[in-house]
Amino acid sequence: MREIEDFTLIGKTVLRREDSYLLRGKAQFLDDLPEPKNLIHIAFVTSPYARADILSIDAAAALALPGVIGVLTGKDLVDDIKTFAPVIELDGYREVRRPVVAVDRVNFVGETVAIILAETPYVAQDALDLVEVDYDPLPSVAEINEALKPEAPVLHQHLGDNLIFKSGFETDAFDARFAEGDVVLEEEFRTGRVTGAMIEPRGCMAWPDPIATNITLWTPTQIPHIVRTAIADHLDIPESVLRVVTPAVGGGFGTKAHVYPDELIVVALARRYGRAVKWVQDRREDLLTNAHARDHILKLKVAVKNDGTICAAYLDVKTNCGAYPNHPYSPTLEATAAVRMMPGPYKIRNYKYDVCSVTTNTAPTGAYRGTGQPSAFLAIEGMMDRIGRRLGIDPAEVRRRNTVRPEDFPYVNVIGVRYDTGSYLPSLERGLEIIGYDAFRKAQPADRMVDGKYRGIGICNYTEVSGTGAPGWRVRGFAKMPGFDSSRVVVEPDGKITVYVSQADAGQGHYTTFAQLAADRLGARWEDVTVIEGDTSKTPYGTGTFASRGSVVGGGTVIRCSEKVGAKVRHIAGYMLNRDPDRFILRDSRVHDRDDPDTSLSLREIAETAYSMNNLGMPQGEEHGLEATDYYDPPMVTMANGTHVVQVAIDPEDGRVQIERYAVVHDCGRVINPKIVEGQVHGATAQGIGEALMEEIVYDTRCRISKRPASTQSAASRARPRVG
Amino acid sequence: MTLILRARFFPPLRCGTDGEDPVMSPEKITVRMTVNGKAYVRDVEPRYLLADFLRHELYLTGTHIGCEHGVCGACTVLINGKTGRSCLQFAVALDGAEITTVEGIAGDGPLHPVQEAFHQAHALQCGYCTPGFLLTTIEFLGQNPDPDRDEIRQALTNNMCRCTGYLNIIDAVEDAAGRLRAKGGEA
Repeated sequence: MREIEDFTLIGKTVLRREDSYLLRGKAQFLDDLPEPKNLIHIAFVTSPYARADILSIDAAAALALPGVIGVLTGKDLVDDIKTFAPVIELDGYREVRRPVVAVDRVNFVGETVAIILAETPYVAQDALDLVEVDYDPLPSVAEINEALKPEAPVLHQHLGDNLIFKSGFETDAFDARFAEGDVVLEEEFRTGRVTGAMIEPRGCMAWPDPIATNITLWTPTQIPHIVRTAIADHLDIPESVLRVVTPAVGGGFGTKAHVYPDELIVVALARRYGRAVKWVQDRREDLLTNAHARDHILKLKVAVKNDGTICAAYLDVKTNCGAYPNHPYSPTLEATAAVRMMPGPYKIRNYKYDVCSVTTNTAPTGAYRGTGQPSAFLAIEGMMDRIGRRLGIDPAEVRRRNTVRPEDFPYVNVIGVRYDTGSYLPSLERGLEIIGYDAFRKAQPADRMVDGKYRGIGICNYTEVSGTGAPGWRVRGFAKMPGFDSSRVVVEPDGKITVYVSQADAGQGHYTTFAQLAADRLGARWEDVTVIEGDTSKTPYGTGTFASRGSVVGGGTVIRCSEKVGAKVRHIAGYMLNRDPDRFILRDSRVHDRDDPDTSLSLREIAETAYSMNNLGMPQGEEHGLEATDYYDPPMVTMANGTHVVQVAIDPEDGRVQIERYAVVHDCGRVINPKIVEGQVHGATAQGIGEALMEEIVYDTRCRISKRPASTQSAASRARPRVG
Repeated sequence: MTLILRARFFPPLRCGTDGEDPVMSPEKITVRMTVNGKAYVRDVEPRYLLADFLRHELYLTGTHIGCEHGVCGACTVLINGKTGRSCLQFAVALDGAEITTVEGIAGDGPLHPVQEAFHQAHALQCGYCTPGFLLTTIEFLGQNPDPDRDEIRQALTNNMCRCTGYLNIIDAVEDAAGRLRAKGGEA
């Protein structure tokens, strides 16, 4: 029998507590925070050229503007901030460092060349146009294949070419296994360049104490601890004097899970001048400079038996790094994600890949919803359809024949990732059932034309890496990625509970769900639990909230930590009542003797003993206090999975795609809060539809963004996902 | 104690705070506005945006700025009862106007039926766009108390949300309509 009643709160829809202030406009996003007096507002002068030498910068006119208090260039900062680069230890990766403000050369449109310091944001904006920068434009390159040509301009001379990362892998006797196929199919797939386009742009504010000893950085980041480590490292200051706090965060999606040059800059300037320094990004800067994503070319070649099963697969992936590696992941993030995840739910036992990442005169790319996985699944799912067409097998059936089956678990895939469990076939079958697949196919004419439109069904199966621990990051070369997350659970002297988590919420509902977990595991009332995160001075160290790790790793540590505290609660209760601690169950913020329903103690009474607020003393060998700290590092990764089945109509006149029905079957394991999970699936599906049909950042031949991402998908747009 | 501020050479800052308010241009204009039922008088530059006026002069920071060019709808407020983009309006052009921001929907009292419906339907995640959706919804349901889902979609076309995928927002507006009808159409 368990000491806590099983799952009183886990699996229940609890309405979000964060709504109470968000709905009233009382949340404090970065630009909503009270501003300190004497605040310096900064703005960045950015390059209009994709590649150019900076010949001179004349700031006289800007400095003459009332309210402008300084203009700094890259040269002014080189002693304060080391050149910026992630730490990657992976064969085939070659380091590229960047100055946080360009010194002699710019490499993408939007790169910072000077900083305006001003008394107000309006004046800072006015001054931007008054800084005269003399550029010598140079040839530039934006596209992967162009950048790989011998005559292409080389962005980083020490590399000799534009290859920043190159790697490969191949199973034993790959060529022989490949030759065993009856049919060979090959296809090239491309994914467009996109970005998170959070409704809240980025920004940050560094606020030193009066003698500039300790500095607090407010930044809407998904990775506060990693930001702190990176700043301390690049500014050469002790981590202990820097506190990174996340205010309310207006959406992250991976885009806010990077360390950005501006975060280093505001802290460096706050140290220099002993004044608070604030920067708020506008939408133009968001689209020009925040991490972009995708922009991949994938060539997939498969050898297939006549029954549709894949004997061997060869994947060649090229990813666009942009001008510089992102921090902390570098371009290996998307590159290794794509090649490592391509086998997905399919039993591919013979596998070879080549992967490279290419620097171009475009914004740096980085983490965004799923990283390389959506690209990889586009390729393999597209190939499943092609196999079906070539061999005359229904595309759903091709997938069935290749899928890892229930009896195969635990299954170790071809690159060594262990899938402990999964619902690959059941999810596929359920998705097909929801959409009425068999009936649809039966009624579908050969030319696919129904009522004047082409109508068809697309299927996508996928696995999804979640909760990556240290081993999962190390194997991909992320030397400084902790992998673990941590929590500290405290039963306060009044019996209420505070849960400190190393993560940083960006709208996922952590303040509600982590309270559910702690309350459930501690047998406490949910209302009695307060969750605090996004503050390096309050929470123990950890990795942060990205790559689908919040619930798995953050939630995992809250569960473990709460159970540790629960054990101490029972121990003290046993001492106070002189009974065996194993007799106690925890419920409603009380400890009950399961064999004696009339006997119970409140958490408050137990806390009073723990905090020496009575004369009872403590049990022998037990320390005062009623708290625990836990570090949870999951093994490798946990693997979620799912299936999307979509019925679309395509207008033959104008090519418009109308989504008619959309079924999502997503297996995320045990659900903590169904309504919140549903919301996550809705939002992710909408962004996926956007990526597939509407959004793309396109660079023209001069490496300028010629088309804004159509993050303009709205409730009334033609794509209307209905999730079933 | 580690003293982090180091004496070293770098470009000196101008003394921008010396003297008479050197930042703002002298041509400030007096604006009178009633916001959430409260009268305010402020002197602001002619180019000062309504969004900045609300946020930085009146400290009503619930009105959020997402795009600064009228696309995303996060900064939507009610101007004399009608929705408007506060990032596209100059404060001085609204002398005498009555403005309602998200802070004025329910004040500190019980949630307004539209807010309650958003809460119940989990129609917000990060919440950054939510104030704009709430005010758009309040105006819409005042004009169309019993909309169907397509009408709701159309009404929300000018507000963007990147987290929710809109489905729960549509549910919330539908639910809010019912709540308001039950209350007798009081918006």
